[in-house]
Amino acid sequence: MSALRMLSSAARRVPSTLTQQRRGYAEVADKISLSLVLPHQAIFTSKDVVQVNLAAATGDMGILANHVPSIEALRPGLIEVIESGNTSKKWFASGGFATVHPGNKLTINVIEASPLESFSSEAVRANLQEALKVAAGNGSEEDKMEARIEADVYEALQHALGSK
Amino acid sequence: MSSATWRNVFTYNKYAQITARAVRQSLKESERVVAEKRGVTALKYQQWENGVGGQQVFLNPEEDKGVGKSAAV
Repeated sequence: MSALRMLSSAARRVPSTLTQQRRGYAEVADKISLSLVLPHQAIFTSKDVVQVNLAAATGDMGILANHVPSIEALRPGLIEVIESGNTSKKWFASGGFATVHPGNKLTINVIEASPLESFSSEAVRANLQEALKVAAGNGSEEDKMEARIEADVYEALQHALGSK
Repeated sequence: MSSATWRNVFTYNKYAQITARAVRQSLKESERVVAEKRGVTALKYQQWENGVGGQQVFLNPEEDKGVGKSAAV
């Protein structure tokens, strides 16, 4: 809802003449402050970005400025960060939590995440085949569940790498 | 998630470790080596008695000895 309000208010605020610093209607007026952190690395620390697309457990969502405060569990999937204009960067994350705080801040905590370029489709395919084999095999319930979880991650990875 | 039933078998922590391991194993060779080290955890414990600490002992002596201190980038 706030996303719709945000878009319509941005349209009204469009300046009719181009000023020196702003690029006019190509820029969005409001940004959200993003912190994307891993246990071993901080990818973003309070960086103003335009939009963040997340793979939440309840479905895909896009977070814009002034989003309502919420906590979303993330499923293994893509995190896409649009910093300004049309440039976007994508990471594949293993899962974690995204928290929108009051005061226009978004914190994403994930355990593992890497840019899409650092993944190997070969490795993903091989891993997926192996995981599916174990999941359908004769192991213990836990082993099979583990394999099924891994297979889900690999399938999500394949989907992400395929639709770069 | 077709594996939504993992909650009957694992804790969230265990689930998160599994997905993290899956992601690490899918990286390109150069980055995978560094990443795999992050997945290794070692436990050291120490018995305290009367305000004096005893010997610090690895939980799994053979495996844990090689683990470095911090994986932070």
